[in-house]
Amino acid sequence: MTNILDDYALISPLRHRNNWLKLAIVLFGLLVGVSSTSPVPPLFIALCMSFTTIALGRAPLKIYLKLLLAPLGFAVVGILIIAFFSGSGQELLSFKLMGYPLSVRKDGLELALLVLARSISGMCCLYFLALTTPMIELFAVLKASRLPEAFIELSMLIYRYIFVFLDMALSIRYAQTVRLGYSSFRRSLHSLSMLGSTLFVRSWEQGDKLFLAMNSRCYDGKMALFEVHRPVGAPELLLTSAYFFLTLALLYLTKNASIV
Amino acid sequence: MIILEARDLKYAYPDGTVAVQDLNLEIKKGKKVAFVGQNGSGKSTLFLLLNGTLKPAQGEVLFHGVPFRYDSKSLRDIRKSIGIVFQNSDDQIFAPTVYQDVAFGPANLGYSKERVETCVQQALEQVGLSRLKDKPPHHLSGGQKKRVAIAGVMAMEPEVIILDEPLSNLDPVGADEIMDLINEFNQLGSTIIISTHDVDLAYRWSDYVFLLSNSKIIGQGTPVEIFKEPELLKKAGLRQPTTLEIYHEIERRGLAYGRNSPKTIPELVNTLKPLDLMWVDVPPRVREGDSLNIGVMYGEYATQSPYEAINATVLHIHPNGRAIVELKRKGIKAGGVLIYDTDNYSLPEIKQILEEGEIAFVGAMGKKSKILAEQNGLRLDVSSGVIDKSILMALCGKRCLILTAGGMVDHAFKRIKEYVETSGIEFTVGVINREEGCQWLEEAEDSLETLKI
Repeated sequence: MTNILDDYALISPLRHRNNWLKLAIVLFGLLVGVSSTSPVPPLFIALCMSFTTIALGRAPLKIYLKLLLAPLGFAVVGILIIAFFSGSGQELLSFKLMGYPLSVRKDGLELALLVLARSISGMCCLYFLALTTPMIELFAVLKASRLPEAFIELSMLIYRYIFVFLDMALSIRYAQTVRLGYSSFRRSLHSLSMLGSTLFVRSWEQGDKLFLAMNSRCYDGKMALFEVHRPVGAPELLLTSAYFFLTLALLYLTKNASIV
Repeated sequence: MIILEARDLKYAYPDGTVAVQDLNLEIKKGKKVAFVGQNGSGKSTLFLLLNGTLKPAQGEVLFHGVPFRYDSKSLRDIRKSIGIVFQNSDDQIFAPTVYQDVAFGPANLGYSKERVETCVQQALEQVGLSRLKDKPPHHLSGGQKKRVAIAGVMAMEPEVIILDEPLSNLDPVGADEIMDLINEFNQLGSTIIISTHDVDLAYRWSDYVFLLSNSKIIGQGTPVEIFKEPELLKKAGLRQPTTLEIYHEIERRGLAYGRNSPKTIPELVNTLKPLDLMWVDVPPRVREGDSLNIGVMYGEYATQSPYEAINATVLHIHPNGRAIVELKRKGIKAGGVLIYDTDNYSLPEIKQILEEGEIAFVGAMGKKSKILAEQNGLRLDVSSGVIDKSILMALCGKRCLILTAGGMVDHAFKRIKEYVETSGIEFTVGVINREEGCQWLEEAEDSLETLKI
């Protein structure tokens, strides 16, 4: 079985909490993160979100760190460039690389740290959502946000069949591999194109079957969506308010502070 | 009463392939019907015709004597009444969660939210999947997916349920659970139609069989009638059921009584001749062919039940006064099968029964009962083919307890009772925690002396 983020979200205990509350927390984190002028509040948000995801949401730590590592790689490359090539003011560090002078200045470093903190906090917020809220919980949210019915229905069907086709693709690939379909580059290209075309034909057929299946259960052009009612509990509300308050206080206190 | 009928049906696919032709059939209400044929013999197409998905090129299909009409309102009524479960569950389950998939049908029927809720709960409970209702289908096993598909159809409360190859790709326990479920619906009054190429299943399970070959019905009748005709089976590209084949072989060797058609292993066992020969000393005046009363035996001499009254027929008398006799055993204190309805479940009661009732063998039927047993640490000796195994154990003088619920209680009771009646071998069978009570626990006090030999 393939491990995807959705699988972790499905077994997370936070899955059964109110979706809107989780969305509010994420939105709040993202907004505060980008509006902060100091790296401290975003880092605080990142810390809180990671704690919630791992301690309360029971996401495996190893997977979580691995997940963070991928975008962090890009972020680090980006901030190195920012640190060396932008800003003015006091020179903190300078050296020569193959004759070119390189230097880190105060403003540049501060900007780099801010960007790093913001991107980490943004990632942590999104991973919190991804690891605690499976797609199936979000359909109700989509519906409440007045998206067209057809769009929601399609997304529900697509969600379901992603996994059917994923299984199909994996088994086709396996069948090709055991008959040496990927033994050379040329073979691989050929096999891959065959896999693609087969999947296309199969999905076409699946569409026919789907129509049949829906029809035989009296489909009349509307797929009902049943939302599970999940009231917000007092502890969650308290915890969230405390978190909001602390973050806002931190945002206010670090308004003009500089850490370098 | 005939619920579903087809007259002179013909259907050809757009490319000209004839899938069904000259097809006439009548299906009676409340029956278990099997369509048997090779792959590609037209079973699946026929099913799509029977639920109005395909429109026949010629002929008509009648439901309760009224011909199908193919406008959308009539089709809706037909599809509500005739549910179909596809061979591949992935084709059938399309909603992102189990709950939503099962709710799809009832919601389309325009039920109120509360009614949909009860329908779905009930259906999920019946198939034993209530705990998995928020799971996405791709996290389920093959057997669980099949049960979701069945629940989705059941939630619409159809009169007829059609299942296309219900047991393909299932492991033995999963297959058994599906059959238990199907039998339960049948017990509750639904007409069940399945297609299969598993002759053993069709022979054992169905009330009526249609043999299909090359898009035509080439034979129909009760399974006993159909499966005793080797020519017909050959024409359909099928073989005889295993039990029947074994029976014919042992019958040909004179080891079983003739003219039977055993469907299950208990029935097969019942046809066996008691070929128990023994040397005994006989009084001088006994002749060959006489009957001797040997008395009551127990322990290692009683092979089938704890105590046996044994009569012997003298086959041959040796000059030295000893004779060869054929033993006829009759169990005095046979075993029995107790059925426990887990709808009114209490753990202390079961524990008491297990302790005091000398239960040697415990089985569970239906997912719900199995889960219950697992949760309470009750050890199950068997979880598939429960009824047959219990009968076999009871025949050997053991006492069995079957944990089950709902319609399966009646189904199991009926099957075992039927066996007792047709075989003439007495053993007790009863449902414990229903109003009638259980005679057996009281009878257990009876001593041997009261039994006539």
